[in-house]
Amino acid sequence: MSQAASPTPKQKYDLNFARWVYENVDGGDRMALCMQCGTCSGSCPIGTQMDYGPRKLFMMIRAGLKEKVLTSNTLWNCVSCYNCVVRCPRKVPVTYILHDLATLAVREGYAEATHSDNALFAKAFWWSATKYGRTDERLVTAKYYFAFGMSEGYKRGMANMKIALGMVRTKRMHIGMPHKVKETSELHKILAKAAEIEARNNNK
Amino acid sequence: MESTTRSRTILVVGGGISGITTAVEAAEAGHDVVLVEKSPTLGGRVAQLNRYFPKLCHPTCGLEINFQRIKKSRRIKVFTMATVAAVKGGAGGYTVTVKTSPRHVKPNCTACGDCGRAATSEIANPFNYNMDKVKAAYLPHTMAFPMRYVIDGSVAGTPEGEAIKAACKIGAVDLDEKEETFDVEVGAVVWATGWRPYPAEKLTAYRYDLPNVITNVEMERLASPDGPTKGKILRPSDGQAPKKIALIQCAGSRDLNHLAYCSRICCLASMKHAAYVREQLADAVVDVYYIDLRAHDKLESFLLRVKDDPQVRFVKSKPARIDPGAGDNPILCGENTLTREVYAEPYDLVVLATGMQPSTAEGDMPAFDGDLDDYGFIFPEGETISAGVAAGPLDVSMSVQSATAAALKAIRATMA
Repeated sequence: MSQAASPTPKQKYDLNFARWVYENVDGGDRMALCMQCGTCSGSCPIGTQMDYGPRKLFMMIRAGLKEKVLTSNTLWNCVSCYNCVVRCPRKVPVTYILHDLATLAVREGYAEATHSDNALFAKAFWWSATKYGRTDERLVTAKYYFAFGMSEGYKRGMANMKIALGMVRTKRMHIGMPHKVKETSELHKILAKAAEIEARNNNK
Repeated sequence: MESTTRSRTILVVGGGISGITTAVEAAEAGHDVVLVEKSPTLGGRVAQLNRYFPKLCHPTCGLEINFQRIKKSRRIKVFTMATVAAVKGGAGGYTVTVKTSPRHVKPNCTACGDCGRAATSEIANPFNYNMDKVKAAYLPHTMAFPMRYVIDGSVAGTPEGEAIKAACKIGAVDLDEKEETFDVEVGAVVWATGWRPYPAEKLTAYRYDLPNVITNVEMERLASPDGPTKGKILRPSDGQAPKKIALIQCAGSRDLNHLAYCSRICCLASMKHAAYVREQLADAVVDVYYIDLRAHDKLESFLLRVKDDPQVRFVKSKPARIDPGAGDNPILCGENTLTREVYAEPYDLVVLATGMQPSTAEGDMPAFDGDLDDYGFIFPEGETISAGVAAGPLDVSMSVQSATAAALKAIRATMA
């Protein structure tokens, strides 16, 4: 995705934001072919818990409702089951588009996005994955819980204590140093190179 | 010019409404025609329809007129249960190899039905899309042309076969008949090979395996007086009249995972199905699930007429899936795109409006070596002449126009 900020339409049915999405979002070119049949939203296992659902969200992109789109919970409630992608008659990769729009919403600083549960969890997950090359359940959970503040993090942690101890007892969660890949320094080099390539592509 | 060696005969492959039309038009313009049909009778998919849209008249009427035209013409030679095995040569001079399958009944058959009464075993009835069975000695349907029985090869060499043979007073049964091939010399070939319904079992989310999920072509047979239910619209699971019926448009059409194109006839066929239901069942409601309704040109008036009925409702949604429900009631799940409501609605009967797949799909026509378009329809280019749905998805009246045009092209090809 381009690092440049996406255009904000000044009026309804200004296609500038839609065009930007078609060109810059992963799978956006296929989104241009959406015929509003509703298969995606109807296939979604948690479709009733989304404010708009993918079909309506795509129409809103066309209508130029950028702010409503990027503050929508539809971006964050997708569970990547790919039912919609399999069934879409136009082969629109709905899942990729929602995830990329979520990234865009965080990058452009929409509070609903940066403060959403899923964004905070994704951040904790990414932190562990990049630091250790592995996700350590305890650290990811702790990082995620304390993202809500000290007292809230403590409260959430204590509420899950029984489950945590049960997992330790049944050897589903270990105690001791975090899991990590053999050469974390090599992993960090790879990630640095990837960031460099991304930056280079974006400056083209 | 070697005009004397050119054949003025035209071969028409396929005896549906398009093939019949091309044959009679060319014959009435003075050309000899060889009409080759794969099944035991002419009429194709049209013979399997209950009524035509938009006037809801019976196809048997138009077919009868055409059958009369064929009978009266000395120029048309019809081969049923025949396929084209090979085509050699070029425009003006083709040698076509025709292969016939055994019918086991000679042309002197009077269709008295004695063989059918003598038969004891039953086979699936392709005329009713295998929804019921027929005796192993059967008349394909009441309007069959030629009006001749067919005896299934499975009874040859059995005591049943002997009984069937003995039952025929005029000795028309020939259980030893074998497959035959012969060549015909023709000046032009018209491909009128038509279509088949897109296989509904491929639409896995629409659960065609459930008893009360049927296709539009099956609905046509259910509503037909000579169909498996003698024209009564009944649920397959329990034989009860349905009270709440869903018609799903674009079932596999306009879908890149199935048929990428619009089959053009399904919307209007479904309006016809809504009309069948409302004619028979006064309390029934019909819900039409659609992406958008495509009633081309003047046929919109038919759509508007059906829309006037408050018991036919329209839901703008392509259902995402069908779930099995209590009492064999399929449950339609999806999103109503006008209200954003996510529904799960049970129905007594669900009809899938499946589209038209060209007969050339899945390599079924080894003798054809011309160009197909992206969807498998025969591209009318160069020497290739195609008519009706073989050339693209058309309704009956457009197929007849296309077939008449093909007759003219074929006549010109023989004269070129």
